[in-house]
Amino acid sequence: MTPEREVYLDYAAATPVDPEVAAAMMPYLTERFWNPSAPYARAREVRDDVERARGAIARLIGARPDNLVFTAGATEANNLAFAAVEGHVVVDAIEHESVLACAATHARKTVRVGADGLVDPAVVARAIRPDTELVSVELANGEIGCVQPVREIARVVAAERARRLEAGEDVPLYLHSDASQAVGALAVNVGSLGVDLLTLSAAKIYGPKQVGLLWASDDVRLRPLVYGGGQEGGVRSGTENVAGIVGFARAMELVGERRGEESRRLAALRERLREGICERVPWAVVSGPRSAKRRLPGLLHVAFAGIEARRLVIALERAGVSVGTGSACAASRMRVSHVLEAIGMPRPLAEGSLRLTLGRPTTEEDVDYAVASIGEAVRAEAARLGLDDAGQAARVEALLEGWPGLTAHTSQNGPRTPPQNGGCAR
Amino acid sequence: MSQRTSRGARVFCGLSGGVDSALACALLLEQGYDVTAVYMRNWSRDLPGFRCPWADDLADAERVAVTLGIDLEVWDCEAEYQATVVDYLVDAYAHGRTPNPDVMCNQTIKFGTFLERALAEGADYVATGHYGRVARGEDGRTALLRALDEHKDQTYFLWRVGEGALSRALLPVGEIRDKAEVRRMCAERGLGVEAKPDSDGICFVGPVGIRTFLLDALERRAGDVVELETGRVLGRHDGAFLFTVGQRKGLDLGGGPARYVVSTDVEKNVVYVTADHDSPALFTRQIELEDVRWIAGEPPAPGRYLVRTRHTGELREVVLDLAGPAPVLRFDEPARRVAPGQSAVIYDGIRCLGGGIVH
Repeated sequence: MTPEREVYLDYAAATPVDPEVAAAMMPYLTERFWNPSAPYARAREVRDDVERARGAIARLIGARPDNLVFTAGATEANNLAFAAVEGHVVVDAIEHESVLACAATHARKTVRVGADGLVDPAVVARAIRPDTELVSVELANGEIGCVQPVREIARVVAAERARRLEAGEDVPLYLHSDASQAVGALAVNVGSLGVDLLTLSAAKIYGPKQVGLLWASDDVRLRPLVYGGGQEGGVRSGTENVAGIVGFARAMELVGERRGEESRRLAALRERLREGICERVPWAVVSGPRSAKRRLPGLLHVAFAGIEARRLVIALERAGVSVGTGSACAASRMRVSHVLEAIGMPRPLAEGSLRLTLGRPTTEEDVDYAVASIGEAVRAEAARLGLDDAGQAARVEALLEGWPGLTAHTSQNGPRTPPQNGGCAR
Repeated sequence: MSQRTSRGARVFCGLSGGVDSALACALLLEQGYDVTAVYMRNWSRDLPGFRCPWADDLADAERVAVTLGIDLEVWDCEAEYQATVVDYLVDAYAHGRTPNPDVMCNQTIKFGTFLERALAEGADYVATGHYGRVARGEDGRTALLRALDEHKDQTYFLWRVGEGALSRALLPVGEIRDKAEVRRMCAERGLGVEAKPDSDGICFVGPVGIRTFLLDALERRAGDVVELETGRVLGRHDGAFLFTVGQRKGLDLGGGPARYVVSTDVEKNVVYVTADHDSPALFTRQIELEDVRWIAGEPPAPGRYLVRTRHTGELREVVLDLAGPAPVLRFDEPARRVAPGQSAVIYDGIRCLGGGIVH
């Protein structure tokens, strides 16, 4: 049976390649296929094209072109960042798996986050030891959408560096930030962020998958993970992914041109989505930072207490709506994502949580259809389980009381203030 | 229909993510049962070259359960499965026998652990997607009949399930004419699994085959392949436990005529072969049984019955002789020898009576 409409709401997982990006890439997949390292003039042309792309991206993030290393995606870029240091590292608990896995190969401190996912710079300051060499905090989280105070953390790092300089200690200290999920919505400038290492990915900004980069300041000496022909300044060997790099640059340019307007549009659609869901399911719980400045505009994390999210995913898939969830089935029990665990979300909420992410192709009609489908799916499951609105509202209230620090974030009668991390009914 | 419809009776239906159990759940719901689906997780280990698809199967089972609007529970049966099916399988092979693990799984897991736990949780019945029929007589007795679709009949794997367990079993798919009909009925109901391929063979071994599994579980042990007629050593093998009577493939003898395994000696680690497909050593006039089980609890009268020595294999006439210390099946004509450890399942017409393990 074919659903009435197909609505994709998982843009944090993957984005379609923009037609303009695809058009920019196409010649390099067909007639301009030459190896940039080859000696003839044609090859020289594509080498120049790669360098032009590098220059374009560098300009957009306020960097020098020769400080960019193209990689096969953000995971590799994160790995490269961690390979630059040997000593102690500090990360927060809701980083992407690739960062946490890299950190696990070092002596480390994993700092906690608040119930809204935000890292407290003061906590980072306390976690930094005299032998800490790297601090890694993502710019924005792809699951609950919080935007971390990276500039403030950069000040903390700078203060420690100044202390070491004064004290004559020569242990280096770098700040890395994975901006893969952020760059579509937030202007990213390495200088104003105050970072030393920055990860970007084409796959989340309507560019091709398996293309990313690591920017490293002049102070950082990168150590290669992939050895070979010495491409990318010897840091990342292997014939350049010319089409991918050209597409990445075009995708970055488009993001730069559209970011402001698109972010406002997505924020409005997200509010429409939130209001629609809360209207149909008054006991839905919306998470993430309360301040709009501190969250990604196109992401809504919403939880339905006592409802199994995986069943919602299936019911929504049947209605043509694709959504993400913060829980997965491992063994015979539900495994809640490390992000939801770290923010302390009570299990009945975490297991019933959906991550809805909007993107460039999303329309108001899509949002309205998704709202109706989600409302219907949640109501059908609640009916099957014999859960009524009054009981659910009471249950949510009790759950939120047991989730420290959150009740303050909920707003009962303030329609102008989005009630983040709170039940819609409260 | 030989199954009584019990409106509102509680049924726990095994739901594997495959076509047959999906339809079983749907049909029981339509018949008015109160159905809870259970995914039995029996095995989740990957083998070299084979990723165990249990998570995908569970996802399919969830799709079916959500579509039908019923609960899906996941029951972890791995420990029992390891002890009663996997260890049994490895031990039997180590002793030069060729077991049927599915027979053990049905006895100890599906109509053992699963049935017991379901009853303890208040079930009136358990159901599976097996091709077989349960006939409930006026006299209160329960019989196992071959499925309506003789090509898919799975009673060969159900002969060790006793009458007590069968009396609690519902096998709705056994009443359906053929597999194409099963797929069509799944498609009609939008269950989304109708295109899944049939799963044949030992589920946890998958397409890599029993050889890879056994070499993972048992020590490789080089030995001779000996020609039966001449005693000549024709080649080497990796362990006599890897071979079974009648086997042709997997003998690495470097060319020459096709050769068949006549017997194996796991003690001496020798595999005996012949090039003669009609060698008398490959035939027998009788099968001696051990570990005999009768569904009804007591043996049938001695006499002529039908026997099947492989899943959906030929049903041959046989005389059941219960006079000696061990039951013996006698053929009128010489029959191909059956590997020790295989099941010989005995039928009276379409009724499955039970059977034994080939000695």
